[in-house]
Amino acid sequence: MATVGERVSGLDSLRGTTPAKPHDARAIAALAANPGCARRALMDGAGVDKDAAARHLGFPAPFGQSPFAITRGNAFEALVKADGCAELLRLLRDVLRLPIDEVAYQDVQNVGAHLRHAHTRTLFDRAARGEQGTLYDHPLLSLKIAGHTAFLEPDVVAFQHGGRFHIVEIKSFAVIDGQADPASVSAAARQAAVYVLALRTLLEELGHDPLLVAHDVVLVCPENFANRPMATLVDVRRQLAVLKRQLARMTSIDRLLAELPEGVSFDLLPGEDGAPTRSAEALAEAIQQVSARYAPDCLSTCDLCFFCRDEARRDGASDQLGRQVRDELGGVATVEEALALADGLREPAPGQEEIARLLRDAERLRRECLA
Amino acid sequence: MSDDLDALERRIDLLRAQVRTAARAREAALARELRGQLRKAERAWDTLVSAPPQVAARPGEQEGRVAVPVRERVHRALTLLGVPAAGRLVVSVHDAFFAEPLRSSQLTTLRRDEERTFRRSPYARPHYVCAALTDRLTPARGLLAVSTWPQERRVVGPLSPRVDFLVATVQVAACAGRLDDPSPAARRLLARMARNVPDAGSGFGEPDPERVAVAARAELAVHLEADTRQRAELAQRAAAQLDEVACLFGAATLSDVARKGACA
Repeated sequence: MATVGERVSGLDSLRGTTPAKPHDARAIAALAANPGCARRALMDGAGVDKDAAARHLGFPAPFGQSPFAITRGNAFEALVKADGCAELLRLLRDVLRLPIDEVAYQDVQNVGAHLRHAHTRTLFDRAARGEQGTLYDHPLLSLKIAGHTAFLEPDVVAFQHGGRFHIVEIKSFAVIDGQADPASVSAAARQAAVYVLALRTLLEELGHDPLLVAHDVVLVCPENFANRPMATLVDVRRQLAVLKRQLARMTSIDRLLAELPEGVSFDLLPGEDGAPTRSAEALAEAIQQVSARYAPDCLSTCDLCFFCRDEARRDGASDQLGRQVRDELGGVATVEEALALADGLREPAPGQEEIARLLRDAERLRRECLA
Repeated sequence: MSDDLDALERRIDLLRAQVRTAARAREAALARELRGQLRKAERAWDTLVSAPPQVAARPGEQEGRVAVPVRERVHRALTLLGVPAAGRLVVSVHDAFFAEPLRSSQLTTLRRDEERTFRRSPYARPHYVCAALTDRLTPARGLLAVSTWPQERRVVGPLSPRVDFLVATVQVAACAGRLDDPSPAARRLLARMARNVPDAGSGFGEPDPERVAVAARAELAVHLEADTRQRAELAQRAAAQLDEVACLFGAATLSDVARKGACA
């Protein structure tokens, strides 16, 4: 087993001269969305700027937040936090049964950026020791990702009288008639799980019980078509488990590193103006040395999605049909192979008999229906 | 404006040519009339050229009345509230109870401008719009206060944001209650504040200002004692460690506090 130092240097050489891209909560949460992807695990572990790489390869990512969405999100957050978090206090008194006298508010942003993490530690240490404190606005937490420290900034952390910390996540997607867009909610839950984990780590470092941080996070969203906020408790235990597993995998990234051929690097070789000088073909070749696990869901979470989709399409891989189809077609890698098995043009390899029989039956049914 | 001048110059040229033609044709009456028109055009050209560049009328500036400067408008709203407030609340209060409009974009540089004015000639004005100080004696993000308030009111402890919100609610309710017919903006403001005070209203219809004030005072009673104590401590520290500019506008960094503290 490689030591941490060896691993970090291995990852650094993978990234090369390109500066490391710090992880944010969104990126860490996206990790948990596709735990099986070695390409993503390695590139994230090495802190490669996937967005820049994708752009250089000619497959720029389709997302990135629109400036309108960011403005809307900030305006809604300001509304919830206006007047000493007046709206938020009403919601928390409702959802967490926060007692009336729990109103102390600390704006951690009042402190300069370089001191904010230290200040956050002091404040949470005091809170865990039982000193007064209820709402912490924009504390700065940290999480170690494969040897690199990522700094995270949850919207608000609420501390309840019962002695539990709750992460509050303010999102500007609407909850209409008690229903919100499931994809947005699960993305928010994944992101909140990152904060829960970071805060638990912080408390553990300070010598407190990490379970003081509740696994229920408070999700604040606009209600119906007005801008009036509402709050719901979301259980993030599942997301937390996935995230922990993924992070543990990242720390066991040595295996992935060891499997890499010598001399592979994702370096963009940025020139003096920061523009990449490495040829796109060479970079693509290097990236293809690491297997990806493309799924259509990647389109909303990963910067490299178009590159991987193109690769999956070229190979005719069954991955592009979605996770469910891929799992059912276990052992059959390409669409062509599946069709050949169904037509009986191809003899099933050992271990493929079961899926071949199913495919043939399906083909027979289809023919009967169409006849 | 240059478009008007161009048009006038073209007209003047045309009129001159017409006057010359009329004179040559010995049509005295026509020539006289055209000369009159030419004079008029030339006079208009003169006034346009020598006029100072036109300033678009400021919103709220009405004939015969000078608009109140932004700092005075903010001061008025803050005096009504009686506690440090964020720009957003200042704007809503001003909209609700005063005639001239106040835009939040007008507040962005206000605190910095006031600080510069104060540094140039301290206490030249009766009051300044200044900052509220945090427990680290740095300026609190986004909060505005009035320099004539006692220092205890210009510092914010952990409980102060809530206390200040409740005091502001009481003040707004009192103002709305005094008016026979509060403006729609005032009603909206009161409804918004009442929603976040426990037992201030049923949630349907307009809140009753008196009931809102009573409810806000009831919650205020829970926090006030602790908050007053914390604020007094902070104010003492500020007085001991800060110079007069920093007392109003906050210490820029912690090292400022430390340096002054070491000297004292």
